[in-house]
Amino acid sequence: MVKSLTAIGIATALLLGLALFEWFYVAGQFEDFGEEVQSLYDKTENGTANADDARAVQTSWEQKKSRLHVWIPHNDVNKLDDYMAEAVRLIGEKEYPLALAKLEILLHLSECIPGTYRPEVENIF
Amino acid sequence: MTLVIIRTAIIYVTLLIIMRLMGKRQIGEMQPFELVITLLIAELACIPMADASIPLLYGIISVVTIYVLHEIVTLLDLKVKPLKSLISGKPSLVVNKNGIDDYQLKKNNLDVSDLIESLRAAGYFSLDSIDYALYESNGKFSALPKENYEDTQTSLPLVIIDNGKYDRKNLQIAGMGSEFFDELLKKQGVKKVKKVLVLTADGQGKIYLQVKGEKYRTLQTEYPGGKTW
Repeated sequence: MVKSLTAIGIATALLLGLALFEWFYVAGQFEDFGEEVQSLYDKTENGTANADDARAVQTSWEQKKSRLHVWIPHNDVNKLDDYMAEAVRLIGEKEYPLALAKLEILLHLSECIPGTYRPEVENIF
Repeated sequence: MTLVIIRTAIIYVTLLIIMRLMGKRQIGEMQPFELVITLLIAELACIPMADASIPLLYGIISVVTIYVLHEIVTLLDLKVKPLKSLISGKPSLVVNKNGIDDYQLKKNNLDVSDLIESLRAAGYFSLDSIDYALYESNGKFSALPKENYEDTQTSLPLVIIDNGKYDRKNLQIAGMGSEFFDELLKKQGVKKVKKVLVLTADGQGKIYLQVKGEKYRTLQTEYPGGKTW
């Protein structure tokens, strides 16, 4: 009885702890990424962004990505990867209007993805 | 992750309810909540293992959630008596001194042929060789035989009427037509075959007859042309 209750307590604490950590960690990572993409978006809109700026955001994303793979489905990470790579190439080629479209998608995804892991009715069912 | 925990809990509870509703036929030597674990664990472990797009952590979290739920259900099953019957079910007495309890059989999604099969598996070939029989909550079959029950099992009884219908195959094996049994039923005051829950006939002329809602009766008869098997 004591053993069972201890095991239930430890396992529940572990699950809740991990769930809370995931909640804040994923949201935090995407918030940071969103801010970086937003600043790149502003520069692109002004026509001042260059390939180095884009690559810096990409490198930062690559670092975040290696840890996010543990917490979220890899397909979501890959989707962001694809748009990021396209944006980097378009900014390098000074194709700003096209790059803005890709960055907008990245901004949208970085806002939406953390929301899809929240315990809300539409996500559960 | 919170989603994985909530979704796992929902599936676990749903499966547990469904297993309980399905009755004893679906269980077979496990308590319903143990069967649910068996069904879920393999799938939960396999999907993230085989699908590289799902983080392995999702599989681990689901399995740990199942473990927690299982421990809670086991504790409730052991410590809270009223919940025990709700979680694991109760044994069903399907044969008593009056014969087969049709209501209990139906409640567990079983029929007379399932009961006869269980009896045979337990070593009792004749319905009148037992006083009581029950399906335990884990689906196992238990029977209390009559004293000297072996004397009543002289030859293999065939089910001639099962739930109001003639078993044509068994009639063929017995080498008799339904007319003989129609006549026998008339003599016993049974107007319609539909009213018979079960009628078995063994090779020595012993008939076990139970009309729906009545106590069973056994009678000795002689088959046309002195047939035996």
